Amino acid sequence: MSDPVLQMRGISKSFFNVEVLHAVDFEVQKGQVMGLCGENGAGKSTLMKILAGIHEHDGGEIVFRGAAVRRNPTPMEMQNLGISMIHQELNLLDELTVAQNIFLCREPRSASGLINFKRMRDDAAAILEKLGEKIDPRRKVRDLKIAQKQMVEIAKAISFNVSLLIMDEPTSMLTSKETKILFDLIASLSSQGIAVVYISHRLKEIIDIGHSVTVLKDGSLVAVKDVAEVTAQDLATLMVGRQVQTAKASDFAGDPEAVMLEVREVTDDLLKGVSFKVRRGEILGFSGLVGAGRTELMEVVFGMRRPKSGSVLIEGKPATIRSALDAIRADLGFVTEDRKATGLVGCRDITDNANYVSWLKTPGVFKGRARSLANAKRMVDRLAIRCSSPAQLVSNLSGGNQQKVALSKWLLSGARVLVLDEPTRGVDVGSRQEIYQIIRELAAEGVAIVIVSSDLPEVATICERVIIMHEGRITGTLAASELSEAKVMSYATDVGAGESNAGH
Amino acid sequence: MQAIEARSENRLLEFIKGIWRDYSVVVVFFLIVGICGLAAPRFLTPGNLLNILRNTSIVGSIALGMTFVIIAGGIDLSSGPVFATAGAVLIFLQRMKNPDGSPALPLAVAILACCAVAIAFGFLNGTIITKAKLPPFIVALAVGILARSVTMYICRGATIMGNNVPQFNQIGSGSVFNIPIPFIVVVVMAVLFHILLTRTKYGTYVFAVGGNENAALFSGIKVDRIRIITYMLVGLCTGIASTMEMSRMVAVAAATSGSQYEFEAITTVIVGGTSLMGGKGRLIGTIVGFIILGIVNNMMIMLNISPYLSGAVKGAVILFAVLMQRRER
Repeated sequence: MSDPVLQMRGISKSFFNVEVLHAVDFEVQKGQVMGLCGENGAGKSTLMKILAGIHEHDGGEIVFRGAAVRRNPTPMEMQNLGISMIHQELNLLDELTVAQNIFLCREPRSASGLINFKRMRDDAAAILEKLGEKIDPRRKVRDLKIAQKQMVEIAKAISFNVSLLIMDEPTSMLTSKETKILFDLIASLSSQGIAVVYISHRLKEIIDIGHSVTVLKDGSLVAVKDVAEVTAQDLATLMVGRQVQTAKASDFAGDPEAVMLEVREVTDDLLKGVSFKVRRGEILGFSGLVGAGRTELMEVVFGMRRPKSGSVLIEGKPATIRSALDAIRADLGFVTEDRKATGLVGCRDITDNANYVSWLKTPGVFKGRARSLANAKRMVDRLAIRCSSPAQLVSNLSGGNQQKVALSKWLLSGARVLVLDEPTRGVDVGSRQEIYQIIRELAAEGVAIVIVSSDLPEVATICERVIIMHEGRITGTLAASELSEAKVMSYATDVGAGESNAGH
Repeated sequence: MQAIEARSENRLLEFIKGIWRDYSVVVVFFLIVGICGLAAPRFLTPGNLLNILRNTSIVGSIALGMTFVIIAGGIDLSSGPVFATAGAVLIFLQRMKNPDGSPALPLAVAILACCAVAIAFGFLNGTIITKAKLPPFIVALAVGILARSVTMYICRGATIMGNNVPQFNQIGSGSVFNIPIPFIVVVVMAVLFHILLTRTKYGTYVFAVGGNENAALFSGIKVDRIRIITYMLVGLCTGIASTMEMSRMVAVAAATSGSQYEFEAITTVIVGGTSLMGGKGRLIGTIVGFIILGIVNNMMIMLNISPYLSGAVKGAVILFAVLMQRRER
C-alpha cells in the first residue's frame, strides 16, 4: 500500500545551536500504525512536536494529505488539518468535565452566543460511544482513573476529524487490561483509515500492534522496517547500535538467614496484613497490577505513610520509622516512581541532588563543597551520567540520566536496603541496561534490593525472587526459576491466589 | 576563514549573553548610575551616595531575609506591620526611666526584645503556614493585619516618642569612617546570609524545598522546619531594620511606621532576580536590587518628581524586572 497521508522530508532542527534532528525523512500511510522508537534524546518527541506544530523546524518540508504544510504552523492549525498528538503527560484540566475538556476552546454555541452545554454533552457522549467507552461526559476529569483520562484525551484528539494520531508512550501508566483495550481501539482507528504514530520504549508493543516501525538514533533515521521482519531484540540493537544482552536472573544464592529487612503484618486502608523479608544481597521484585498497593507498601516501609498496624525490622531489630529521616537513619533508600514529582529538584544541579541525603547523614553545618563535588563526580563516573558537568541542572538531563541522579542520591547515602519503584519508567534501552547492571553490582556488595515493577520482562531480567500483590494482599511468591508471565498474571488477577500459601 | 570569524563572533555573542544571564542586574545597575549622573550632577557627590546607602539599608535588611522566604517558595506580607510592632516594643522599653531620670533598662535589652518580637511573629507565620498547610500569602496577610492592630492598640493610635540619647540615636544616624552604620550592618548581614545560603546545608535545603517540596520530603529533609526558619530569619531582619529606623527617628508612629515596607522588600527581591516560584535566587541580586531602588527613590527627589508618582515608577520597575526574568527563560 502506498497512499501516504504524511511525508516529512529532510527535517532538521536545532536547539541552542545544537542540531538534534539531522535531515530526517518520515512517512506514514493512510490507516497505518507506525511505531516510532529510539533511545531518549534520539529525537522522537522533537520530530512529533514539529508535526504537532509545537516546535518550528529549521529545514525540510512537511506534506500532509498531498498538500504542503506552511512553515511554523500553530498547534490549532495542525489539529484542524487532522493531526492530533496525545502527550505522555496527560493535558487535561482536572476541574472541568469530560465534555468541557473534549471541546475546550471549540465549545458549540447556541443562537444566543452562549455555550450550548446540552449539545456539547451529546457530542461528547457520541464520540466516547464510538470509542466503546462508558464515561459520563458530565463527570469531572479529576474523578477519573488514569486509563479513563487517556480515553478522554483520545476522544478529544479524534473529535478533530483526525487523520493522523500521534501517541507518545500511551501505555506507561496503564495496566495490562487497559493496554489491551487501547490496542483494540488503535486497531479499530486504523481500520477506519486513521493513521497512528505510536511512540514507545516497549518494543514488544510496537511489534504487536504496529504495521511498520521507524527507528531513530541520535537525531538520524536508522531504519524503517516492516514489523513482520523484525524482533524486539532487533529493534533494541538498531536503537543502541550494538547488541543488547537480555539476561535472565537466576535464583538467590546468598545466605537465606541474613535477613536485612523484615516487614510484618502491615495493615491500613489498602494493605491487608502484608509481610515479607528481603535478605542481604537479594534482589526482590514486587509485581502486580497498578493499584495493588505496592507503592503504598513501600511508602509505609519508608515512613512516608503511617499504617494502622504492623512493624518493620532491620537486621532482626524492630525499627521505629515515622518519617523519611528515620528511614534514612536506618540506612533505607527509596528511588520513587515519579522522579519529577518526588525524586529530584529539577531547578538544582546534579551535585546538590546527589548529595541531599548524604548531607543529612554527615555532621556539621557546612556542605563541604569540595567533598560534595567529588561525590557528585564519582557518581557521574560510576553511573555514566551523561552531562556537561556536575553543575548541570537536573531538569536539562534526559530521563535515563535523571534516573541515575536519583539513584546516586541513595548510593552516596550508603543505603543498605534500597527500594526502587518502577526504576526504568521512561528510561531508554541503553540506560536501562546500565541501571540493571548497577543494581546487580549493589546487590553483589550486599545491599538488599526491592524492585517494584509493572514491566514483567524487567522483573524476569533482574529479580531473583518475585512477590505478586493483588488488592493490598500478597497473593504469590515465585523464585526466578519458577517465574513465568502466565503465573504472575494469574496471581496478579487473583485467579491463582487460592493455590499459594503466600510464603515469604 | 569566514567560518572561524562567524564562530568567534558567535562566541562573543554567547559570552555577552552569559554575562547578561548571570549579571543582568549589575549591568542594569551601572546603566542606571550612569544615566543618573548625567541627569542630575549632584547625584554623584559622595554625600548623596552615602545618603542613598543609609536610606536604602532599612528595607534592604528586610529584603535579605525575604530572599530566603521567597526562595523557599513562600512570601511574607507581615513584615511592615511587624516592623512597627517590634519598633513600638523597642521605644516603650527604651523610654522607661528610673525616678532619677536614667534609663530603666540597658539599651541592649530593648533591642533584643525588639528582635525577639519580630522573630516570634516569623515563627507564628511559619508554624501556621506549614502545620495548617495554608497559603503563605493569606496567613502572612492576616498576621500583618493583626500585628498592625496590636501596635495601634498599645500606642493608642498615636506616635510615641523615645528617649533621645546619643547612644541610641547613633545606631541609625551615625557613621564610621563616613560610612553610615546601617549600611555597615546590612553588609555584615549580607555576607553572613550569603554564606548561610550558599555554603551551608541549610541554604541548599532552602533551595530544595522551594524547588520541589515533595522531592525534599522524600529525601528526608525536614521541610516544615526549613520553612519556619526562613520566616524567623525575615523576622530577625525586620527586628534589626526596625532598630535602625527607630533609633534614627526616636519615635514610632503606630499607623505609618513600616508601612509598605513588605512590598518594597518583595520588590527588591524580585528586582534582584529571585523567582517568585521558588527554588531560584541569589542574595547578590537582592543587594544590587535594594541599591537600585534606593537610587530610584533618590532620583525622584533630585529631579523634583512629585512624590505621588513614586508608586508609578516602582510599579514600572517591578514590571520591567519580571519581564526581563521571563525573557531569560
